[in-house]
Amino acid sequence: MRSARLPLLILVALLVFCFGLAAWLDLWFQSWRGNRAQSGDLLNVLMGDSRRLFANHFFVKADAYFHSGFYPTVFDNREAFQTPHMAEDSGTVGGRNRGDEKGFLGRPRDWIDAFSRRLFPSRHTHLDEGGPSGDLGNSSQVREIMPWLRISAELNPNDIRTYTVSAYWLRERMGKVAEAEQFLREGLRENPDSYEIMYELGRVYSENKNDQAHARNLWEAALRQWQKQVASLPDPERAYKFLFVEITSHLALLEEKQGNYPQALAYMELWKTRSASPDAVEKYIEEVRRKMSSVGQTQAVQAGQSSGKAP
Amino acid sequence: MNNIVAIAGVVIKEMYRRKDFYVLFILTVLICGVMASVNFFNDDKIVRYLKEICLLCIWICSLVIAVTTTARQIPSERENRTLFPLLAKPLTRTQLLLGKFLGCWLACGLALVCFYTFFGALAAAREHHWPLLSYLQAATLHWVMLGVVIALALLGSLIFSAPSANTTICFVAVTFILVLGRHLNKIALQLPEPRRSVLYGFYYCIPHLELFDVRDLIIHNWPPIGWTVCGVAALYGLAYAAAFLISACLVFRRKAIN
Amino acid sequence: MDTLNPPKQMAERITNGQVPGTYGSDSPPSFAYPEAGPSPQAALDPVLETRSLSVTYRGRGTGQPDRQAVKALTLVVRRSEVFGFLGPNGAGKTTTMNVLLGFINASSGSASLFGTDVREPIARQRIGYLPELTYYYKFLSAEELLRFYARIFKIPKVERDRRIDAVLKLVDLQQARKRQIKTYSKGMQQRVGLAQALINDPELLILDEPTSGLDPIGRMRVREVIQRLKNEGKTVCDRVAILHQGELKVEGSVSELARQHQCSLEQLFLKVIGYAAQPSN
Repeated sequence: MRSARLPLLILVALLVFCFGLAAWLDLWFQSWRGNRAQSGDLLNVLMGDSRRLFANHFFVKADAYFHSGFYPTVFDNREAFQTPHMAEDSGTVGGRNRGDEKGFLGRPRDWIDAFSRRLFPSRHTHLDEGGPSGDLGNSSQVREIMPWLRISAELNPNDIRTYTVSAYWLRERMGKVAEAEQFLREGLRENPDSYEIMYELGRVYSENKNDQAHARNLWEAALRQWQKQVASLPDPERAYKFLFVEITSHLALLEEKQGNYPQALAYMELWKTRSASPDAVEKYIEEVRRKMSSVGQTQAVQAGQSSGKAP
Repeated sequence: MNNIVAIAGVVIKEMYRRKDFYVLFILTVLICGVMASVNFFNDDKIVRYLKEICLLCIWICSLVIAVTTTARQIPSERENRTLFPLLAKPLTRTQLLLGKFLGCWLACGLALVCFYTFFGALAAAREHHWPLLSYLQAATLHWVMLGVVIALALLGSLIFSAPSANTTICFVAVTFILVLGRHLNKIALQLPEPRRSVLYGFYYCIPHLELFDVRDLIIHNWPPIGWTVCGVAALYGLAYAAAFLISACLVFRRKAIN
Repeated sequence: MDTLNPPKQMAERITNGQVPGTYGSDSPPSFAYPEAGPSPQAALDPVLETRSLSVTYRGRGTGQPDRQAVKALTLVVRRSEVFGFLGPNGAGKTTTMNVLLGFINASSGSASLFGTDVREPIARQRIGYLPELTYYYKFLSAEELLRFYARIFKIPKVERDRRIDAVLKLVDLQQARKRQIKTYSKGMQQRVGLAQALINDPELLILDEPTSGLDPIGRMRVREVIQRLKNEGKTVCDRVAILHQGELKVEGSVSELARQHQCSLEQLFLKVIGYAAQPSN
């Protein structure tokens, strides 16, 4: 009996010791900076920061889906795919693509290469243009890229382009404006200083909800953020310039549409400073000035008429 | 032929009495079920990601079934000493080997029928459209590819002493070919001689299993492949399977089995 | 028996029932072994013959010399005989059987079964083999296993069912015929082995230590089965051959050897292998 009880007693003692040790260590662990368990995100807990490595893979996978599987690998010529086409077509990022997007495979190098091209996708198509069938009625098939964009956002919430590209296709082709706005707001929560997301959110309000006031506020906030983050750099990259041009051009056109010509002119001047086609912007400026002057003449006439009538 | 079919029947019985296939099938169903239940932006028409995940599971499971079933055939016969009463019958070693190949291949074929039926039902539930011809082509090419893998595993089981070594080497080789086989010629062209010639020679010698991987065509709803192309690919695969089987027969005939 | 026909033609003749004593022939099915009442001429036909059979196992390249397992073995087993093949461990018995069954090739000499070279698979059409260690496909039932082997022997379907019933009754496994072999005891597996050795009504039955690994009850049961076969006209151990270190030392009938050497078979065995008897106190 004694020999049967002793191992049991030792076991109980060990359990008590472990429990006490766990309780004592838990206080320290909760305050530990590297404690991933504080995060509610399962992927964050499981993978930590290594999950960001996979995020870009899924973003590129979404672009491969955009092309219905016809996509270059790391062994092919990727000059025409440096900027994912789904991002470029959405107008949310500046494009850097050069070269022939249809011919990245090159000529067949041998008979196996030539034969294999009959057994995988071998034609350049975009889902928003109907995919392999080319039927524009199927352009909503662009929905198929969404799961990979969602996963990419989960893995790397700080990749801005995932939110902006997704939002564009959600609202433009899938008609899901509410989902686009919700996704952008999620992105803004993770990246509160992101002018790209503010700009895109502004587009949602302007183009889909017809709420120009809200759009104006967002674009102005985006412009302020841009100026704060990028303007101080000696030579902002083309992507940064692209967003600046987009924000200022949208603000300018919005103000022009609403008849706020002086404000429109101010934004156009800003737009012109970083535009790739300053001459075209200059034409806009002249047109706005013409409108301003005709509005000014009209106002003067109206003012004169109203003063003439006064006793 | 009678002996070959008899042995094939025993292999098929073994496969459906072991739990491997059922476990893998249920795992595939569960994974696809979980992925299908995920809500992406309140859109229930998104289907291609599901097709890709399902097909990936099918390919992995079918390769596992093919390699593990085949790799243990001859070694377990020897280990369990069931080979001796079998070869004491009027049966040649070549018939035994061909029977094992046929059994494993047919067993994998039956497994593929189950898997692809599930895949078709899953895709049709969302797409409301069933491109039977494309699925049939994909399943047939997949089955031919498994024939090559089975023949390779059978040859490996006669060369390598341990089934685990054979299984590992087969998986590594098949994965290497599927992932990199298509690109070896591009890599070769970037190398200086003589490495270029060596790699290009290797590129021509290996069975190009990636030719049978037409998942992208199925996932993205491309039109069906031409039947001539399918036929040529199938012949290519069967030729490699035959070459591996002939090598296996030559090795087995010389092997002492006591 | 016609030994001049090439094996394929022999197979066709056997399958078409043109060789007496095989299934499909006019002779009644029987598990008497060999069949009772052969003609005097047929009784002298050799069913098993080796001529200067030698088997050498090569050294594995680590300095080990080649080992000659069987040295110039010449023996003949005729129809209507029960032949005991004796010897200590390592004598070459299993090696000889492996050559006869086609598992390994002889280094020199020849071996034939029913006049057909053992390297031809058709030579094994009329033999039954019970290995020393009996393992069969665990996922099959006894009935399925017998059906599989019967198919390899090309036994017609109608005849197949009847034979399966008969052998299962003979080895007393009717109750367990549908159960998978993995649920069988060692004794039951041994009896399944006996059943598969008898499924083709063989003319030559090779039993390699049929009672090894069995408990006394199991041994008794196997002996009962062999006794049943013997009761249909057999005697136990007409002739014996004793092997030692790959060489045939003595051969002859049991009674003849006992008379010649003035000792029992057991004492003769010990004398042949060079085991000196201990002086009794």
